[in-house]
This record gives sequence, structure tokens and C-alpha cells, in this order.
Amino acid sequence: MDPMEVFKIEVTGQEDFGRKKYRELIMDILQDLGLIRSIGRLYVYIDVMEPIFAVYGLLRSGIPPLTVKDVGDVMKAEGGYQIKINDEEHMADLLRVLWDRYGRERVEQPVRDVVIIASDTDPSGLMVADLEAEFLQDLTDGLIRVAPEGFRNRRNEMTKDSFFFIAAEETLTPELIAKTKEKVREMENA
Amino acid sequence: MLEPVMFTGGLYKHDLVIELVEDLGGYVLQKNVTQSEVILLILIPSEDKPVLESLIKELRGELVRAPLAGTEVAVVTPTLAIHHLPHTACDIAEYLRRHGSKTNMIGLARGVGQEIAQINEYETSLINEHDAAVFIFGNFKECIKRKESLYRNISVPVVVTGGPEISKAELPYAFEYVSSVGRVAHRARKATEIGTLDRIVEAAGRALDKTRAEMAKDPLTTSPPRVMDAVREQVPDVELSYSPLPIALNLNGLRVKLPYDSYKDLVGAVSFDEGVKLGEIATVRPSRMKDYILVRILPASETGFVF
Repeated sequence: MDPMEVFKIEVTGQEDFGRKKYRELIMDILQDLGLIRSIGRLYVYIDVMEPIFAVYGLLRSGIPPLTVKDVGDVMKAEGGYQIKINDEEHMADLLRVLWDRYGRERVEQPVRDVVIIASDTDPSGLMVADLEAEFLQDLTDGLIRVAPEGFRNRRNEMTKDSFFFIAAEETLTPELIAKTKEKVREMENA
Repeated sequence: MLEPVMFTGGLYKHDLVIELVEDLGGYVLQKNVTQSEVILLILIPSEDKPVLESLIKELRGELVRAPLAGTEVAVVTPTLAIHHLPHTACDIAEYLRRHGSKTNMIGLARGVGQEIAQINEYETSLINEHDAAVFIFGNFKECIKRKESLYRNISVPVVVTGGPEISKAELPYAFEYVSSVGRVAHRARKATEIGTLDRIVEAAGRALDKTRAEMAKDPLTTSPPRVMDAVREQVPDVELSYSPLPIALNLNGLRVKLPYDSYKDLVGAVSFDEGVKLGEIATVRPSRMKDYILVRILPASETGFVF
């Protein structure tokens, strides 16, 4: 079963095999990169004769940025605050943010999963990582991987809740982009 | 007739196998040692195969037919990017190796796209040094048909693989077309996928048989394994080559992995019991692969004798 609400793929000409295979391929790649849960709807339009490859997707609701309290427990300690890290994945980002905010001399890490800050300001609300920006980067990477390799002229339009990716061998003209967008819109309304 | 077989077994006492093969007049083409296991690619006279089988049974080893042994196959992908590697290309290359062939993977510099796909003279002549080539293409019929220009000028038989069903008549320059491969993002593990790999091996086998049949009409002056043995004996430096297979066999010659400039005279001077030198019955020229030496044995029609 598809984890997405809608996943349509349209290929021009007698390319039914290619359509089915690309469906599998897109699923494999998006799953490998852990992106599939964040995409709600996906429309893929492939014109083999032109040739053109376009993907339009709607994203599920935005991912909130990761703050200090998400990666560890913040406790008031003598002369400052203590953070007990639960999620080590973002340790480097966390230290960088704390160093920037408080200065290196005020941030101490006596053991691997504990950070002590010599300051009266509560660090809980500080932003550690912008997960949404990371997601959009991963998504772009995924789309480049999905598109056939020879399609070197690419354009990627991303908004908060959707993305439109188009790749072709020939130069991308405004008319070509408009025409492809129209095709995708037809798929969406069908 | 020499029969190609592959021995897999323990390292202990495997030299008995090598000795027996040499006593019977066969050749050890390749020896791979992996920790306590050894894989030998062997050519053995078919009438003596039962003797070898009984020894291998005693050693608790395994002996299987390796139809592609003594040949070199090129596995060609449009580029070496993530779109084509690793899954399909590596699966095919590995599967061909398991059937005894020496497989080289070649990624073209500009093989991508429909309109822009191209192959240059160097790539073409490098592929022509092999005995057969397997070209790996994608999932769209139209793209596979348009990429014909990549292998049109290749003189060795080309097996084309791709996703959809395409009739052979639509690909006149391909030796054979194997469908249901195409571009995939996972390893071949289902029975149908393994079955497809088998079909590629069979197609490569038929391509090599075709070359063999053509060569049988005008046989080579001597067989490549015999030249290999002589080179190994008379140019001992070849064993010092860092390459895992210092002498690679082809159907019509071999590639000696030593620098051309310093060793071409030594290789050309290799002599046989019949009193001829290698330089007289073969051409010794630089290979397109690194600075190796390419030996091509001349047919009987040019030298006037066979031994």
C-alpha cells in the first residue's frame, strides 16, 4: 500500500513498463532517504519524446524546528543550567548553538551526555536545527537521484507546502515549463 | 577438448589439484585465495575430468562448469553515477564472474541522455579488447532504441539489457536483447530477478560461442592458455604485477599486465618447444587499458601452421 494519499505517474507513448518501474524506483529512493512520510501527494509526468521529467508534490504540514528541550532535559543547576542529552544525533549542532549564544568559556561538557552552562538565561527555547531546511535539501537530492541522469537542465521551485521539479535534456524555456505545469495540473484535476 | 571448470574448496591440499591439472595437460587460469578458501578457474581435458572429480571429492571441494572461463566481458553503463550503479551493474558483473568470466566494469564519460549520448574512440577500442560486452540501459523503450549509437561501432558481440520487452528486429546492432533488467534501486534478490541474470549469462555464453565458431573456421596458431603458461614461465616478473590477475585471457589472445615499453621485447621473445617465438605467431602491441601489453595470436591462415 502506498504511504501517500495520491501518487500518480503519467508517461507518454507506449511505455507502460517504464511507468510501473519508475513508480517502484521513486518509492525505493524516497524510502531510502526517509522522505516518504512528509509527502502527501505526488504527481510525476514523463514525456519520453520531448524528453522531459517533471514531479509535482504537496508536502504534509511543516516540521517545527528542533529546540534544545527536544534533544535533552534542561534542569536548573547551581550557578546555571544543566542539559542531559537524550538525542545525540544533533550534539554537534547543539554545542555550536550554545557556544554562539553563551561563549565557549561558559559551556562545559564534563561527560559525554551532559552539558553545563554557566548562565542565568534558560536555553530551552534555543533553536538547534532547522529540520525543514534539512528536509528540503534531502528532497532536492532525492529528486535529482530520481530524474534520469542525462537530464542535466533542472529547475526546482519550492514553497512551504509544495514543490515542482522539472528536468530536461534541452534548454528549459518558459513555454516548456508552462506547458508541463499545465499537464501536471490536468493530472491533479483528473 | 579443454573444458572450463571452477573449483571451490579449502586451502588445505589445494596444490594437489593444481599439480593434477598440470599433469593432465590442463591449465590453471586464475587462483583466488579468500582466507581459508580457494577458488580455481581451470581448463581440463574433458576425457580426464572424472580423475579430477574424484580427487576433489576426496578433498571435500566442489567442481562446477564455468562456461565463461578464459574470456573477458565488459559490463558497460552509461556513466558511473548513482543512477546506474551499484545495483544492476554490480549484480550483472558479479553474476558473470561466478560463471568464470573475467569482468571489467566500464562507465562511459558521456553515455547519458537520448540526444546527447555519445561514446569516444578510446572507449570503443577499450571495449573491443574484450570478447563480449553487456550494455545496461534503462526502462524506456524509446531511450533504449535511440542509444544504439553507443554500440553501433563495437566489433565484439553486444548483449543489450533493459527494462521493457523489445523485439530483436528493433535493435539490429545488438547481438541479443535481455528484458526486465532496467534501472532499479535495489539488489536482485527475487527468483525472477536472479532468473534474468541467468538469461544475461546465457546470452553472453551464446555471444562467445558465436565468436568461437567464427574462429574455428580459421583456428589460432596456438591456444591462449598455452601462451599464458609460456609467458608465466619465461617472464617471471609478471608474478610481481600488483594486479589480481596478472595475465588476463581472451578468446584470441591475452593481456599481460606489465609496462609495455620495458617488457614488450621480453614478451615477444617468449619461445615454445616447437622452436617459434611469440613475436612470430602473434602481434604484441600496447593495450588501451593502462600501459599493459596486448597479445593477439595470429590465425593459421597468416602463419601457415598450428601447434
